[in-house]
Amino acid sequence: MAVVSKMIEADDLSILGLSLEVALTATLAILPIGIALAWLLAGWRGQGRVLVESILTLPLVLPPTAIGIVLLTLLSKHHALGRVLSDVGIEIMFTWKAAVLASAVMSLPLLVRSARTAFEEIDPRLLGVARTLGDGPLRVFRRVALPLAWRGIAAGVLLSFCRALGEFGATILIAGNIPGRTQTLALAIFHRSQVGRDGDALRLVALVCFVALAAVYATERLGHRRGAAPSAT
Amino acid sequence: MIDLSIRLALQPFSLEVELALAGRVTAVLGPSGSGKTSLLEIIAGLRRAEGRATLDGVTFLDSERGIRLAPERRQIGYVPQEPALFPHLDVSENIRYGVRARSDASTRRVTETCALLEIGELVTRYPHTLSGGEAQRVALARALVTQPRLLLLDEPLAALDAELRHRILPYLMRVRDEAKIPMIYVTHHVGEALALADEAVLLRAGRVEATGPVRYVLTPKLVTSVRHDATFENIVHGVIIAVDDDAGTAMLAPLTAVSRERAPEATPLTVPGGHGLRAGSPATYRVRSEDVLLLRGAPVGISARNVFPARVVGVETLRTDVLVRLASSALEWRALVTAAAVRELEIVTGSELFVAIKTHSFERLG
Repeated sequence: MAVVSKMIEADDLSILGLSLEVALTATLAILPIGIALAWLLAGWRGQGRVLVESILTLPLVLPPTAIGIVLLTLLSKHHALGRVLSDVGIEIMFTWKAAVLASAVMSLPLLVRSARTAFEEIDPRLLGVARTLGDGPLRVFRRVALPLAWRGIAAGVLLSFCRALGEFGATILIAGNIPGRTQTLALAIFHRSQVGRDGDALRLVALVCFVALAAVYATERLGHRRGAAPSAT
Repeated sequence: MIDLSIRLALQPFSLEVELALAGRVTAVLGPSGSGKTSLLEIIAGLRRAEGRATLDGVTFLDSERGIRLAPERRQIGYVPQEPALFPHLDVSENIRYGVRARSDASTRRVTETCALLEIGELVTRYPHTLSGGEAQRVALARALVTQPRLLLLDEPLAALDAELRHRILPYLMRVRDEAKIPMIYVTHHVGEALALADEAVLLRAGRVEATGPVRYVLTPKLVTSVRHDATFENIVHGVIIAVDDDAGTAMLAPLTAVSRERAPEATPLTVPGGHGLRAGSPATYRVRSEDVLLLRGAPVGISARNVFPARVVGVETLRTDVLVRLASSALEWRALVTAAAVRELEIVTGSELFVAIKTHSFERLG
């Protein structure tokens, strides 16, 4: 332990701490929205579904800087949304809240896609039978859909968390790179490498590898157990 | 009492059904893809359709007036073809799923239903550990304990093999007689329909081909026109009047097919004895139409225990064989014989014949 603590500097740990805080807050913030969107999309039989799904997937495929500049524009004082927020005293730009917002927007599609697939895998007859047994749509969601989809949702949450942890492009545009306030792991690695502190940067890489590996491993385990679970009927 | 007037565009035809059902159990028969399952889903509220539907005077669908009661407010139980048990809940939690408030009455109802369907010992098991027949009974119990005003059963025995099918049928008959919940029962099995139902509906390509009392609707001609692989069975409902344990037989006083009353002049039938048969208990048996023998005159020295006179009321050619319908003191029998036998015995409508049936041709259903 002594060796490890010598190798890792206090600075590294505070960067890791901030990054975990930002990624965790972002993941928790998108959890209810993501699950609700996934449930609505899974049950949507009408037209327009594919279009909405495509739009929701955009953050996954666009350059993160593109999302960053859109957020930057929306939040600026020249835009209505930015003005309203500023009028009620909410400052987002270049605070940790901006880092959370950027991570949330970028990782929402991963959560929605995982959760939607999990909901779609549920035998629709189970949902129908639950209705005939006296449950309204919300109770069916809580008593049948959620318990049966939770593994897929949990896997989506872990993936979203990893995505949030690694967010760079949108974050640097709207949160800046302020040590101790908005400098997350991804930003710090970039910064250290830019100023020639490659060794310091690699220490951070090792830290983030450790956290990400744990999360991805957990995701894989969830997926395997889901595959081995008894079939729905 | 259920009144339906329903339209739904399906591929490749549209479902258009007008029905007024007053029976305790209505069997719905028809070829695969004739709209049977869609009809049940519409009644349950799981599929949208145009038209009107009322149950005991309560309207739950009237598309013109914009009435479309949500499935959870219809009090209509639904057992789909696959049992569709909730895989994350154990049997007990599955059965209690629809029970709103836990009360002494609801607990008693659950216990009674488990006893009726003999699933009390399964309550701690999970659905994936159940056999097909067990899962089917649990699904039935789950619907029954909510005390629905109507129970919809979609081919509940279709996924089971023949052996299991005959073990489940008695439970359905118990539900009919003891829980007294009206049922609409989709099946493609004429024997099941005759054993369970008092009314029948024949569906073909989304249209009602025939409807009415089961005996009149399920005539060989109509049924074979809908199902080419249909088989014809004799279903005999009756009351046990004596049990001879030494001989391993019992005497059954048959009930008339239509009114289900004792047929006073009908000869009692000798049937196989078995577990739980007591004098006075109701029983239902099946005799395959191939196992009913026809004789020109009264036989002498015959091993078959059941021999009685009967009059031919119908002769219908089905593929290569001939189905002969006979009336004998308010009972109707169906015998499947070869065309050559019909020629030799000169069987025509009105012929007076003797019917012989071996004791062991009677198979107990419930």
